[in-house]
Amino acid sequence: MVLDNLGSSLRGSLDKLSGKSRVSEDDVEEIVKEIQRSLLQADVDVSLVMDLSSSIKERALEEEPPGGTTARDHVLSIVYEELVGLVGESTEIPLENQTILLAGLQGSGKTTTSAKMAWWFSKKGLRPAVIQTDTFRPGAYDQAKEMCSRAEVDFYGDPDNEDPVDIARKGLEETADADIHIVDTAGRHALEDDLIDEIEEIESVVDPDRNLLVLDAAIGQGAKDQAQQFDESIGIDGVVITKLDGTAKGGGALTAVNETDSSIAFLGSGETVQDVERFEPNGFISRLLGM
Amino acid sequence: VIEEQDVEDPLWELEMALLESDVEMSVAQEMLDGIRNDLVGATRKFSAETGDVVEDALRDSLLSVISVGQFDFDQRVAEADKPLVIIFTGVNGVGKTTSIAKLSRYFEERGYSSVMANGDTYRAGANQQIREHADALDTKLIAHEQGGDPAAVIYDAVEYADAHDIDIVLGDTAGRLHTSEGLMDQLEKIGRVVDPDMTIFVDEAVAGQDAVQRAKEFDEAAEIDGSILTKADADSKGGAAISISHVTGKPILFLGTGQGYDDIEQFDPERMVERLLGDEEEEE
Ligand SMILES: Nc1nc2c(ncn2[C@@H]2O[C@H](COP(=O)(O)OP(=O)(O)OP(=O)(O)O)[C@@H](O)[C@H]2O)c(=O)[nH]1
Ligand SMILES: Nc1nc2c(ncn2[C@@H]2O[C@H](COP(=O)(O)OP(=O)(O)OP(=O)(O)O)[C@@H](O)[C@H]2O)c(=O)[nH]1
Ligand SMILES: [K+]
Ligand SMILES: [Mg+2]
Ligand SMILES: [Mg+2]
Repeated sequence: MVLDNLGSSLRGSLDKLSGKSRVSEDDVEEIVKEIQRSLLQADVDVSLVMDLSSSIKERALEEEPPGGTTARDHVLSIVYEELVGLVGESTEIPLENQTILLAGLQGSGKTTTSAKMAWWFSKKGLRPAVIQTDTFRPGAYDQAKEMCSRAEVDFYGDPDNEDPVDIARKGLEETADADIHIVDTAGRHALEDDLIDEIEEIESVVDPDRNLLVLDAAIGQGAKDQAQQFDESIGIDGVVITKLDGTAKGGGALTAVNETDSSIAFLGSGETVQDVERFEPNGFISRLLGM
Repeated sequence: VIEEQDVEDPLWELEMALLESDVEMSVAQEMLDGIRNDLVGATRKFSAETGDVVEDALRDSLLSVISVGQFDFDQRVAEADKPLVIIFTGVNGVGKTTSIAKLSRYFEERGYSSVMANGDTYRAGANQQIREHADALDTKLIAHEQGGDPAAVIYDAVEYADAHDIDIVLGDTAGRLHTSEGLMDQLEKIGRVVDPDMTIFVDEAVAGQDAVQRAKEFDEAAEIDGSILTKADADSKGGAAISISHVTGKPILFLGTGQGYDDIEQFDPERMVERLLGDEEEEE
């Protein structure tokens, strides 16, 4: 099982159970504490950690281990089931024509991710185009254009147009031949009302099949409010976690998934267009628990 | 006399509150251990609840961590030999380039001239981004082609400043994660070639537990003199400020509070502590 190679303190407390067939309340208490620590250090929302750990505790004490299962394996499988239950499978991304809108905080990695996703779709034999609607950040047009040329995908942007909604509309027309439309947006956060209104307008013109929230793996407890606001404004269908090549654990994504009732779509792990992969729950859960 | 069991519950609550504010776990625990040691066994004359005593102790402890090494930035700038060379470091996308633009305005308002040096010869669009800022602010920019040597760009900017009596060199660097050995080595090289007067580490107020790790590793690669915490407008509590000052022992100098050129404030430790403890008080 994936959790076999857990972080050392968690493994230590689980190892104490290895010969036992039943777990005592103290055993469970200790293990749950370790799991809490790991999740909190991974930036998972504090109240979500408490909810998760109380269900783990309750189940570990109440459920009879299936015949032949050791206490250790029983607790492990409960931890795993609870986390998988929350994080779910990768967001469904059908290999067919679609429009995807990217949203998120300043500097989270949207522009880089739009080129990465376009590259990913092109490797699947589809024809993607990226539309850059960020008229605010200096150099945003050039950045997106250059990333798209590295990814060898179509690009639309207009450095002389200051209206993101208009760029989005024209961009969709101009790239009508493409199978996949990826719409990049300027960075914004939950408290910027004007910018939240703006992305709602872009969303209504673009009418995307999927809205993805792009989150830096290092985001802290703020992930909850940000995810909630973006979900309320445009509806979030999936999360992209970026900068996983660092040491941050990406627990904010778990919070966001819980908050938006969505799932994780892609993972970013570098600055080049190839540094992208589809989400895979096992690796992510291992990372959260500090392996 | 305060007994161990009197403080356990309030300490646990405060630990959770610190984690909710994004203070890193080991930093939070270290602070709370200190408080536990100070309080347990102490005889207190007080009418307040033990919880309040613990919270007061935390306030003091937060303030002492976050005030570490505070110095008068304006005075240091005033007294420094010119050109004063400042290098900005930090992970990807935290706001280094924007902070440089803001500080160029800040210095201009205080009567100093500055030149920007684009040591980010790596990221797509980096030259165009800083060029637009330089044009908007009417500040001179030294930039080389993409792929060039960052240390050479900043070196050129220092030469330019020397030759043209410019007061301050603002050296940008590419965003890099602390896990990238090659890029971290490059920072050391910039340090060697340019020998900056000040190195400022930039991180964001929305950062979580990882802030400790990166602050530590950037400080090791190119010793920092202080930090800037950006995106303080994004409604996070900003516990990263605690983590960073604790692990580096260097002060937070400025807060970034928006995307405009004037959205930068001198860091105020007391206000930060109020911000960190803010919700606590509302709940009570
Ligand atoms: N190491 C690493 N860097 C990344 C990754 N994704 C993005 N970046 C870097 O993070 C920084 C910000 O990325 P952008 O794509 O510009 O982020 P953005 O969300 O478009 O930023 P704004 O448009 O300003 O809101 C850049 O330096 C990128 O190269 C990743 O997965 N790993
Ligand atoms: N809300 C808010 N946004 C900010 C602040 N500072 C910077 N930003 C935004 O954050 C994004 C990234 O800023 P940059 O200055 O490009 O960050 P950087 O560290 O130079 O990024 P790289 O060079 O790619 O590593 C941009 O969209 C900025 O406008 C701030 O204080 N508040
Ligand atoms: K949703
Ligand atoms: Mg962008
Ligand atoms: Mg930059």
